[in-house]
Amino acid sequence: MSILAHRDYHAHQTFDAEVVVVGTGAGGAVAGAELAEAGRDVLFVEEGGYHPTSSLNPYLTESIPRLYRDAGATMIMGRPPIPYAEGRCVGGSTLVNGGMTWRAPERVLKEWQDLTGQPDLGSKALAPFFDRVEERIHAKPQHPVSVGEDSRLLEEGARRLGWRYEHNRRAQDRCVGSNQCLTGCPTGAKQSTLLSYMPRALSFGARCLTQVRVHELWIERGRCVGVIGKAVNPRTRRCDIDVRVRSKVVVISCGAVQTPYLLLRHRLGRRNSQLGKNFLCHPNAKVVAIYPFDLHAWQGVSQGGQIREFLEEGVVMAENAVPPGTAAAQIPVLGEEALEMMRHYNRMAMTGVLVEDSHAGTVTRGFDAPLARYSINAYDHERFLRGVRLLATLHFEMGAKQVVLPFSNMHIANSVDDLRQIEQTQRSRSTIELFTVHLMGTCRMGSDRRSSVVNLRGELWDLPGCYVADASLFPTAVGVNPQVTIMALATMVAQRVEVPN
Amino acid sequence: MVTSPVLQRHPDDSWTLAAPRTVNPRTQRVLLALADAIMPASPRTETTLEDVTRHALVCLQYMPRSSVMAFVAGMRLLNWAPLWRLRGLRLLTRLSRDEARRHLVAVTQSRWLPVRMLMYGPLGLFMSTYFDQDCAHRAIDYDPVPFVEERIELRRKWLEGEEPGADQEIHHLPVVPP
Ligand SMILES: Cc1cc2nc3c(=O)[nH]c(=O)nc-3n(C[C@H](O)[C@H](O)[C@H](O)COP(=O)(O)OP(=O)(O)OC[C@H]3O[C@@H](n4cnc5c(N)ncnc54)[C@H](O)[C@@H]3O)c2cc1C
Ligand code: SF4
Repeated sequence: MSILAHRDYHAHQTFDAEVVVVGTGAGGAVAGAELAEAGRDVLFVEEGGYHPTSSLNPYLTESIPRLYRDAGATMIMGRPPIPYAEGRCVGGSTLVNGGMTWRAPERVLKEWQDLTGQPDLGSKALAPFFDRVEERIHAKPQHPVSVGEDSRLLEEGARRLGWRYEHNRRAQDRCVGSNQCLTGCPTGAKQSTLLSYMPRALSFGARCLTQVRVHELWIERGRCVGVIGKAVNPRTRRCDIDVRVRSKVVVISCGAVQTPYLLLRHRLGRRNSQLGKNFLCHPNAKVVAIYPFDLHAWQGVSQGGQIREFLEEGVVMAENAVPPGTAAAQIPVLGEEALEMMRHYNRMAMTGVLVEDSHAGTVTRGFDAPLARYSINAYDHERFLRGVRLLATLHFEMGAKQVVLPFSNMHIANSVDDLRQIEQTQRSRSTIELFTVHLMGTCRMGSDRRSSVVNLRGELWDLPGCYVADASLFPTAVGVNPQVTIMALATMVAQRVEVPN
Repeated sequence: MVTSPVLQRHPDDSWTLAAPRTVNPRTQRVLLALADAIMPASPRTETTLEDVTRHALVCLQYMPRSSVMAFVAGMRLLNWAPLWRLRGLRLLTRLSRDEARRHLVAVTQSRWLPVRMLMYGPLGLFMSTYFDQDCAHRAIDYDPVPFVEERIELRRKWLEGEEPGADQEIHHLPVVPP
């Protein structure tokens, strides 16, 4: 038995393992693989299904329900509400992510070191973990054969304006730029955990239960000794078979929204009420430019590089070509008008502005799902307006005819002059349209139990035997794509897990 | 034409999609009316409307109950849009596609965020599904499969030791225009 699915479970089944890891994304797969490699008997429990490379295709109607949580219908409530996406499959969000591998900047790691008062989260201590992760996921620059016109256009625009543009290093082995990263790489190039860490873990004897959602922790005499879940029938979507796993240690890696949701069920973290707080989401505003010539942005890697001129202000700009279904869903026009707009799809450069969070939201338990709350503050709003204006200016500089802006009351700019109105017309935070895929920080790691949820080993302060290894560990926002930082922290946690005899 | 079994729709390799959620006939009518008003009237095939609404019901199966309830309640509210907008006495389901669309456009462009939010779900779901259909792909001149197939082949050769050359780079513009 290596990978089991719903059809393999019997009523009230209990599995045994030394370590159970819940989740197989950036955090879980890495922690589990490291533990398996260290000789531990590891069992993964994953809510989503196992979808091998050969089953991936470019159709949203098939990929989104199977690979994304809630068929992509997930939303952070606040002003403005922010739709978010996360993976739900073996590989977690890494299966559907863009593959960019940026380390957390030095200044952020310095802040983490200062906050915890310990060197553990500083850049020197984390460097070997980053190195190890980057080697395992092949974090490398793109080969020219994989780069598309939209990337070249953004790079040229940045050059003309004198802005710093940096090529991405991505988790890929011979990426050929098919631009299907968001529906799962069909060429096998992207080194999601499905292709990197999970096979490694399995080769060291780990097992994986798929299509099982963990609902609660198994706690005995104040110690976490396993997890209790239910298998999800892929046809009816009902949770219809009880599955339990008994283990010596539990590692929770469900992501920054689902991890606190699970832990809050047990009223953990009540002493300092930090659990679920410090929710960060690195929001993104879309800026879609329509050019008078074909770019075919859907050919070539979804993001060749980033404009990092404004990184110190917490602003990053990048292209991100998405399939037409995703693009159309983000442009709020209907019917024939939508079709007219989408007829320009081949001429679109789909870009965005990402702003580092300067404050945080919360995740609590809703009726039957997590309730994430986050509103952007005036400072972040101001940076968005400036970022959007600058990015749209770049597009006009490069010859765009029209730019679709992320404002509900000002959708189209036809010239640079129109952009001057942005700051006057966008006074309310309710009119900006944001989106996010970078969720972080709800179980912050720290050295003081009064201000953190887990200690520097990743173990919950108030539940021995229960560790966290995912994006929720971040003490503060990183302002860049987070996956390698998550993986580095997960490696560190795996090395520090103490398995009782 | 799709030649590679790898990239076909619905590959028969254990990828089971959930069965569509069953809803009562009234909800079904609202769903159809909204999809019809939101999607472009053409191009469509005979089954496009049915396919899109069916897919919406499949997607509902993947959501938690609270989200499904919110989605269905939102659709009902949209159905009553002519009434609460004080622009008519008939529900959307009783209006022509164009009339219904006018109400939905107004809701989408409302200055009130909670009103605009009613359209988030339906717009996202129906538009992303519509623009995933082959007829819509043809209309916008988007044909990913041959390109992806060519790229899979390119990588296969690369793995065998044949590194791609400049002629395999992706170029559509002779040079980036001044
Ligand atoms: C579309 C998209 C593009 C992105 N692009 C990039 C990028 O280019 N670069 C980058 O650095 N980052 C990117 N990210 C973000 C990055 O992928 C995530 O930050 C990272 O994968 C999060 O790791 P994680 O382990 O916290 O959670 P995830 O990777 O999301 O894994 C969590 C796993 O836990 C499972 N799970 C959750 N709850 C339960 C439960 N109760 N029981 C059982 N299993 C459960 C989920 O199904 C999932 O598989 C992107 C994300 C998305 C969605
Ligand atoms: S661009 Fe294509 S080949 Fe490259 S990683 Fe993404 S999906 Fe794979």
